[in-house]
Amino acid sequence: MDRVALTRLLEHPAIWRGRGAAHPRGLPTGFAALDAYLPGKGWPRTGLIEILVSRFGSGELYLLLPALAALTRAAAARWCVWVAPPLMPFAPALASQGIALDRVAVVGGARPLWALEQALGSGACDVALAWARRPKAREIRRLQLAAERGRTLGVLFRPRRAAREASAAVLRLSLEPITAGVRITLLKGRGAMRGAVDLLRPGSWPV
Amino acid sequence: MRPGTLALLGDAGLVRVPRAAPLRTLTRRHAAGGRAGELWAGLHLPGINPEKLQQLAVCAQRFTPRVSLAPPDGLLLEVQGSLHLFAGVAGLRCALMSECLRLQVQPVLAFAPAALAALVAARAGKPLAVMDLAQLTGQLAPLPLAPLRWPPDTLARLARMGVRTIGAALRLPRAGFARRVGSQQLAMLDVLTGRTPEVRVTFHAPERFRRRRELSCELENHALLLAALAPLFADLGAFLRARQCGVVELECRLTHRHVPATRCVVRLAAPATDVQRLAGLLGEHLSALNLPEPARACELRADALVPHLPGSNGLWQPGEHGGSAGNEACGLIERLRARLGSEAVHGLTRLEAHRPENAWAVTGPPPAAGHRGAQSGCCADAPAAGRRPLWLLRAPQLLCVRDGLPRRRGPLRLVSEPERIETGWWDGGEIARDYYTAVDIHGVRLWVFRERAAPHGWFLHGVFG
Repeated sequence: MDRVALTRLLEHPAIWRGRGAAHPRGLPTGFAALDAYLPGKGWPRTGLIEILVSRFGSGELYLLLPALAALTRAAAARWCVWVAPPLMPFAPALASQGIALDRVAVVGGARPLWALEQALGSGACDVALAWARRPKAREIRRLQLAAERGRTLGVLFRPRRAAREASAAVLRLSLEPITAGVRITLLKGRGAMRGAVDLLRPGSWPV
Repeated sequence: MRPGTLALLGDAGLVRVPRAAPLRTLTRRHAAGGRAGELWAGLHLPGINPEKLQQLAVCAQRFTPRVSLAPPDGLLLEVQGSLHLFAGVAGLRCALMSECLRLQVQPVLAFAPAALAALVAARAGKPLAVMDLAQLTGQLAPLPLAPLRWPPDTLARLARMGVRTIGAALRLPRAGFARRVGSQQLAMLDVLTGRTPEVRVTFHAPERFRRRRELSCELENHALLLAALAPLFADLGAFLRARQCGVVELECRLTHRHVPATRCVVRLAAPATDVQRLAGLLGEHLSALNLPEPARACELRADALVPHLPGSNGLWQPGEHGGSAGNEACGLIERLRARLGSEAVHGLTRLEAHRPENAWAVTGPPPAAGHRGAQSGCCADAPAAGRRPLWLLRAPQLLCVRDGLPRRRGPLRLVSEPERIETGWWDGGEIARDYYTAVDIHGVRLWVFRERAAPHGWFLHGVFG
């Protein structure tokens, strides 16, 4: 078999390859260093990712803003759903970061994981963000399946201590603030490299 | 009339075709269009509101299947076929009047072989009962012209000519009348006297769906109840498909042995025809419901049907090659609202205001995603909002202070120049604050302010995220 045919065969989405070749087109994160570090050269377009932070407000949302802005401003953008945010997202700040507010929906209520699963599986959303205290591994598996069914990117923010638990998410990152920016450690990813990457605070971030 | 409709509405107690009048006779007469044997009852109901008129029309279908509305205050019934059932005109008049009395309306009732003649006589306050077309003109002649409801200037012109009654108008030469008054008015006079037949639109009672099922055993589990409702949903699907209608509200009633029935209402964001979706939504509602007792019977009701035009679906799945999500978004809102309450889903918008509390508002859920075309974008006109946090507290939270500096789980480090935001005297929400960015000991960036007024308290107002 010649090399071209082999390459074409290996491009089949059902074939999972180890390092580097998985997920050829990711969603650009807006940070060159992070793009180079992540397995798909960006956020995955479909599936559940987990971002583990020690404290709420460590800079985790700024990490996602460029991608959210690009998704909500696309021509046929679907919704961007925020499920059970701990505080109210401040609309002027989101707008000034480039997010189209007419694509943003906030879901409150008592059952964040159920609402997130509905949002992920419905196919009505491009991205769904959720803050959940302690989801079980089974529930995360359900969320991951729902995200694949609805072709949606799900982002789950969890406390740092969850790093030891197993998870079905396609990508798990741990994030901690450092003086000049944030340090990101990849905990799980397809074809992942180990190590950490430091993102310096760009100008669009608060001083 | 469709046989199915007749049977269904008969069940619901809406339409009762006079039992002795065989259906075939009625249809034959309608098909032949024989105007000769018609007798119309005209009801003039001054000051009636449209809902009441509709209600009366539904009730009037007890007397005849040919009921016609003459808005705003008239109702016409073709009663020739029903006369012998009510012992003639006098009996029918009694029955109609008692029906109106039951609905608390005070009508004037007139009978004539032409619909317009009956209506005009009723409007003129004359309870005529003209049975023969030959006598109609003579009976109408003394009536004034006003009940014809011609334009006021036409009536004034006729009055100047000395024409004040219908009889006087009928005596005028036809050609001259058409030229001076109008051919439309002449045509109306012809309809009035029965020279030309009038086509009236028959009133159809609004259709509704009601099906009930007795359960073979008492059920409490909502999944089993939903399974028991499945045949009713199948009926509803066939009912809606046949009429090309959708529902925006569906009610499920569960009957119990001792306590009053439980109602469970599903309201939809858009007219729905898909019974699978309706069943799913009702399942969400039922699962949130606390039944006082097991249910013995269940009933599905859909009262308001709306015409449904199925749209075309996109070729692509949502999220695939830019395929958009229309129905999915509606379905998502409905599911979330069914389970979490109607306030659970909302959108956000920004307002032009300098005070942070007033710079945003909650809106309805965003519209279902679609192609937005060349949208100007929210950030094109957004001013550089300075340093604004991504999260805002609902109300500022007082921080404790040591040595003049704020603390929150340890000392806060102020890392920015102050930004002063003040005034708002015009609506009573006056503020005077110096905002700073502060970093706590864990590296979290906070938006804090110091009041410029006397106690100079420090408050937390936002988190940068």
